[in-house]
Amino acid sequence: MLLKDAKILIGDDSILARKQLKDILSSMGAVRFIEAVNGKETVEKYIAEKPDIIFLDIIMPIKDGITAVKEIIAEDPAAQIIIVSSVGTQQQLKSAIEAGAKDFIQKPINAEQIKAIISTKFD
Amino acid sequence: MFVQFFGGFLLNKGVVSTDQLIDAMRKESTAHIQLGTLAMHASLMTAEQIEDIRIAQTHTDRRFGELCIDKGYLTEEQVNELLATQYPKYLLLGQILEEQGVFDQATFHKLVKEYISENSIAEEDLPLEDGETIISLVKDYCSDLDSSNKEYQLEYLQLLLNNLIRFIGSDFTLLRPVVRSTSYPTQKFAAQEITGPYQVTSILDMSEEAAIQFASRYVSEEFTTFDEYVQASMEDFLNLHNGLFNVNISNSYSVELGLQPPVSGEKDAISGGQYMYIFPALFPFGVVNLVVSEM
Repeated sequence: MLLKDAKILIGDDSILARKQLKDILSSMGAVRFIEAVNGKETVEKYIAEKPDIIFLDIIMPIKDGITAVKEIIAEDPAAQIIIVSSVGTQQQLKSAIEAGAKDFIQKPINAEQIKAIISTKFD
Repeated sequence: MFVQFFGGFLLNKGVVSTDQLIDAMRKESTAHIQLGTLAMHASLMTAEQIEDIRIAQTHTDRRFGELCIDKGYLTEEQVNELLATQYPKYLLLGQILEEQGVFDQATFHKLVKEYISENSIAEEDLPLEDGETIISLVKDYCSDLDSSNKEYQLEYLQLLLNNLIRFIGSDFTLLRPVVRSTSYPTQKFAAQEITGPYQVTSILDMSEEAAIQFASRYVSEEFTTFDEYVQASMEDFLNLHNGLFNVNISNSYSVELGLQPPVSGEKDAISGGQYMYIFPALFPFGVVNLVVSEM
């Protein structure tokens, strides 16, 4: 699939983090973005929009990222979820992967890491 | 990192005013260290000899080093060695203050010696700013604070200094910490709770003008008004700092701490913990306060 056709869901309570991710992905050719500001909204938008990939924070209000991963995976075990979090402890990493996340990026957001992940999934 | 403590040392000694310090910090990025400062620091020249060369320079267009060799103050080898040696960054800050006439060469020399001696900084550590000396500086800095968990507080503060340097800039001076047992009146703030064995509320607080500059540096984008991105930058920095702190604590002590989502606000009187520790960092654009409220 071409990146320009991919529907990308970004779940992060920080407007700044969402903008930084969108800027990096746009520079690579992505154009279709959906944004969610907490875990609950992320799950709802996933079910409604069926995006091709999700970038998801962990520390969020209302519903945290790990719970959101579990609920999305229960809905769609093949969901492509990438965790982007400032708390990259071994335990968080383990919880995210066990919940069904495919990758884990430690903040601050690094364009090269995002590009490396995207290049394995899209043309 | 010594430069962040040197400014505070000068303020505490009462030899500079906050305005003079800010003015000097603004000039740091464009100023160059002089051979005289390096020679003074290496104890190869006295303040009088440096002054003698400066006077001589007003009558000739020859270089400082050449005149030193002519007068027998330094050998050619010493000049080359000094120019090739790394120097601690606080020397440049002191030199700018001396050039501005805040203090004279002899006082500058005396202050540097006092700073080194008071902080037990070994000469060989100066250019490298080794980890142990920095830990000792941070320990001294918060030695009067009666924290319920001194070890974590030190880790927190040391990481804060690193993160300020890494994400905002090294041109700041750490002012004396303040302890409050009553509420803290905020300006523009972001706050975040750390949960678990080290339960604290952390608050990043500053004036609106300082927040705009802080965000501009953090995001590398020019902000001119206080908007949602500026607010989000403060939250993001705090969240990143606390997240990295939790990672360090997990790696060093095998202790898992939790984090609540950051929140923002303004002009609130924050109270809660038994004690609030305020760590002010003076940047040229204003004071950035990190408040740690222990439960």
